[in-house]
Amino acid sequence: MKHWNALAAIAVAVACLSTPAHADKLDDIISSGTLRCAVVLDFPPMGSRDADNNPIGFDVDYCNDLAKALGVTAEIVETPFPERIPALMSGQVDVGVASTSDTLERAKTVGFSVPYFAFEMVVTASDKSGIKSFDDMKGKTVGATAGTFEAIALEKQVTEWGAGEFRPYQTQADVFLALSQGQLDATVSTSTVAQANVKTGNYPGIAVVGKAPFDIDYVALFTNRDEYGFINYLNLFVNQQVRTGRYAELFEKWVGGEVPSLTVPNAYR
Amino acid sequence: MFSYKFQWNQAFARLPQMLDGALITMQIAILSMVLGILLAIVLTVFRRSGSRVLSGIATSWVEIARNTPALFQIYMAHFGVATFGIHFNPFTSLLIGITFNNAGYLAENFRGALKAIPETQTRAGRSLGMTSNQAFGYIMLPQMLRIAFLPMTNQMVWAILMTSLGVTVGMSTDLYGVTQALNALTFRTFELFALAGVVFYVIVKLIQFAARLIAMRLFRY
Repeated sequence: MKHWNALAAIAVAVACLSTPAHADKLDDIISSGTLRCAVVLDFPPMGSRDADNNPIGFDVDYCNDLAKALGVTAEIVETPFPERIPALMSGQVDVGVASTSDTLERAKTVGFSVPYFAFEMVVTASDKSGIKSFDDMKGKTVGATAGTFEAIALEKQVTEWGAGEFRPYQTQADVFLALSQGQLDATVSTSTVAQANVKTGNYPGIAVVGKAPFDIDYVALFTNRDEYGFINYLNLFVNQQVRTGRYAELFEKWVGGEVPSLTVPNAYR
Repeated sequence: MFSYKFQWNQAFARLPQMLDGALITMQIAILSMVLGILLAIVLTVFRRSGSRVLSGIATSWVEIARNTPALFQIYMAHFGVATFGIHFNPFTSLLIGITFNNAGYLAENFRGALKAIPETQTRAGRSLGMTSNQAFGYIMLPQMLRIAFLPMTNQMVWAILMTSLGVTVGMSTDLYGVTQALNALTFRTFELFALAGVVFYVIVKLIQFAARLIAMRLFRY
């Protein structure tokens, strides 16, 4: 009888050791040794490719930092804007480091961290259009990258104006191509993206003409909505990036200028 | 791995917007078919004209339309021609792209259909005093269109499905464009695209049903 008790005790102990109560995503990432980040690589300076086709940019560095903090290797999974959610939900990536605006509508589907970056919106216009400010865009043909915060806001604005046309293009590159070809009169994009693209010289005849009066576009890391453990880690990670000065360092490296504040005045979060 | 709770009511709430998009999709497909058939007849005539220039034009058209991706053709109709300073809005670009593709494929269908009509019929027509053009117009053309009817339905279905490529040229009012815009807004990717898939399926089924009704009349002899 004693034998059986001892055997049962061993069996229970082994069972407990080999099957943890509940392995969450954070555990899965640590045990797999790889952190797979969805990054948009058509969105300089946040994500793009260098001359050797290697992914570079703010988001790429941010993913690498996160992987380093977790003690795993980072894997950058190129993900166009519209494919961020399918990539996450089908388990191809663990986290989105993809300049994703944390709207309430989207938060019903995915779980967001606290904001890790903030964009200001500017108007970039073609020289021929004669547009000098945001209000000049009324009645003109304008466009933006489909699925982005600014595209949603701009489309709403065009509907409100009741004049002009809004065109969403699939990639940021197509928007600037259409703009420099004269197919679009103006676009609204994040100031970082606008400056980076104008600076390349690939798109002649366009210039940043002014600010767009949209809310500041806070972007957050995202993962599955129910992965509280991981979201908690992401929040702390974002906080640490700011605290240690790494956020400012990355901002200086990729964007330059005044580092945007990630906190909202007079609010808890 | 797949942890996602489907919220179908979120997608159904957007169905009216998607159906508005479906109308635009049908509009483009029907227009592109009508224009495509007319152009394909012109290409067929070009090919039979005996002129090296005309048949060269027709052959290159068919070759490009059939051997390059439809995506490329639509992209070229927007960004390609713009490098020459010609600007089309997304609707027109998509229409041109699909029409170009339709005409190429249909011209090839028509060529096959013509081969199925015995050459003796033309000769019979000519011996009755018809000119070569009359023989083609009155004898060959109607039969060609009838023989090619089923391939034409096929192309119509293909035209409906090709409208989904319009998003690459900034199209946002067709079924696929609307779905993608809604997806950006809500991130309800799976529900919205599944619903769009069903709407596409229903449209195509309706077209096939209509085609069968027409075919019953057309082939009743």
